[in-house]
Amino acid sequence: MKLDKKVIGSVLGIAALILPQFLALEGLEPAGQLALGIFLMAAIFWICEPIPIFATSLLIILLQVFLLSDKGLFAASLVESGYIPQSYKDFYETMASPIIILFLGGFSLASAAVKFGIDRTLTRFLLKPFGTNPKYVCLGLMVSTATLSAFMSNTATTAMMITVVLPIIAALDKNDPFKRVVALSIPIGANIGGIATPIGTPPNAIALAALREQGVDIAFSTWMMLAVPLVVVMLIIAWRILLFLFPPATDKFEINFDTKINKSPVAILAYVVFAVTVLLWVTEKLHGISSTVVAFIPIAALPALSVLDQKDIRGFSWEVLWLVAGGISLGLSLKHTGLAGWIIDLVNWSSLSSLALLIAFGLVAFAVANLISNTVSATILVPLAVGLGVSGAAGADFNMGISIVTIGIVVSLSMILPISTPPNAIAMGTGVIETKDMAKSGIIIGLIGFVITLACSLLYWPLFF
Amino acid sequence: MKKIYILCVDDEPEVLDAVQRNIADIEDTFPIITAESADDARKVIEQIKSEGNDLGLILCDHVMPGDHGVDLLIEIGNQPEFTQTRKVLLTGQAGLDATVKAVNKGQLNHYIAKPWGAEELMQIVKDQLTEYIIKTNQNPIPYMAMLDAAKLSEYIYKNGILSDE
Repeated sequence: MKLDKKVIGSVLGIAALILPQFLALEGLEPAGQLALGIFLMAAIFWICEPIPIFATSLLIILLQVFLLSDKGLFAASLVESGYIPQSYKDFYETMASPIIILFLGGFSLASAAVKFGIDRTLTRFLLKPFGTNPKYVCLGLMVSTATLSAFMSNTATTAMMITVVLPIIAALDKNDPFKRVVALSIPIGANIGGIATPIGTPPNAIALAALREQGVDIAFSTWMMLAVPLVVVMLIIAWRILLFLFPPATDKFEINFDTKINKSPVAILAYVVFAVTVLLWVTEKLHGISSTVVAFIPIAALPALSVLDQKDIRGFSWEVLWLVAGGISLGLSLKHTGLAGWIIDLVNWSSLSSLALLIAFGLVAFAVANLISNTVSATILVPLAVGLGVSGAAGADFNMGISIVTIGIVVSLSMILPISTPPNAIAMGTGVIETKDMAKSGIIIGLIGFVITLACSLLYWPLFF
Repeated sequence: MKKIYILCVDDEPEVLDAVQRNIADIEDTFPIITAESADDARKVIEQIKSEGNDLGLILCDHVMPGDHGVDLLIEIGNQPEFTQTRKVLLTGQAGLDATVKAVNKGQLNHYIAKPWGAEELMQIVKDQLTEYIIKTNQNPIPYMAMLDAAKLSEYIYKNGILSDE
């Protein structure tokens, strides 16, 4: 079964790469046809997953360098057709683009946090004020998970929090719905929390990279200003929804776990680097040093201070960086070959108002991201929003910046299915909840979240763009 | 997905029945196969190998007609496909020499003395399979509900087994 799906995905993907080259596509230059092939192949590979999604991203860069770049096989004939191929360096550079470096800085900090238990200590500190009333413990879990996942990987945060709560869940009465509240609050907190900062989750990188490409440089703190209010509102709403769906039977839920604060000199250096970096990030507006520049401080300082060693660096999620890099790279060709504009022209957009467009993009992003990777969903949709904005097809009141941010954020609100996000998969894996529990809370939270995101894009985010 | 089998070897059918009953809860996730002798076990193992599946755990008696359990464990442990297979002796009659041999040469992971308790056996099986999943670097999510979820979650967290996507 599985093998068949892989074979079908591979064949479809390769066919999608080759076929457009032999079709007469009106309005599309040879370079655009090549880009269309790469785009379709990538989309099919990302959806059917015959190979890992990050492998598809690397394949995109390989194909771009070989087919579309100035060092590629068709460079001369592309020039003849009137297209100026991009330098092959442009594609390679996506792997070290400032946004990637920003994430690498985040990975360095997260690695140090895990190594010296900064995350666990922080969790205990954050949970304390919420007491032992189950209702507030649930809020506490969501707030702590969201706070950590804003700076660390959503997945790692979820796995850590699950280890904290599982022993206590086991002690609850077998039929107490509060079990499900606890097991759901963590992935929900992680999914929502990832929205809060630029480094919270990879789709944010796709949105930020697209904005940079358009000359819009968003400061770390600016992103937080536009995202944190949404995150706070969503956490409170999700909290109320969980308690409504699964009213707790127990009247006490106490989370106890051991965290010894590591006071070794190396650990203290780790805390200092962590604090300094985060402080510099959130105060970007005050000192003017770009967060992508600050990001190199932990990358260089943590190994220099022996906080991170060779093994820690090997443990970074490099595949996430490559997934994002491939996405950014694909965006380059979509724009440069005119493919994005061509795809946009397939539809007569002028019949739709700019609000209808925003809703359409948001709904598609939400639906797709429930089924496939959030990053991939953003990667496919963001260049189309850019194309729409650049081509002017959507009319003057279509705000490209806001639509990019909307797509980047809506994908993180997709959490209906266990496969929607890795945090969902982990929570499901514990066996404490059933798919229908997750679907119920996911649909309600997702739809309310969608409406609130839309409200932000109409009423609040115009202040920033 | 590859199947991960539990193999149970004992010359007494009643023992095999009892073990199967004790760990029946886990059978949907980890299919159980039984064998009544070392030769029988070899055939089962060849079958598992030829189907491309894995052997996660072998629960083995020591004194049986034909080859003894400890020798079978050593033999299995020497096959490259099964170096990570968890090896448990379930016996009342393994003397000191045989047990020492099993530990030193057969990479024995656990020793259960007959008679055993049902809950004790289930716990040992779960712990051993949890170790198996970790040692073989598998995605632990499909197994969490059945095994030690907290430990597998800790493993995801500490080793970055899964990442955001």
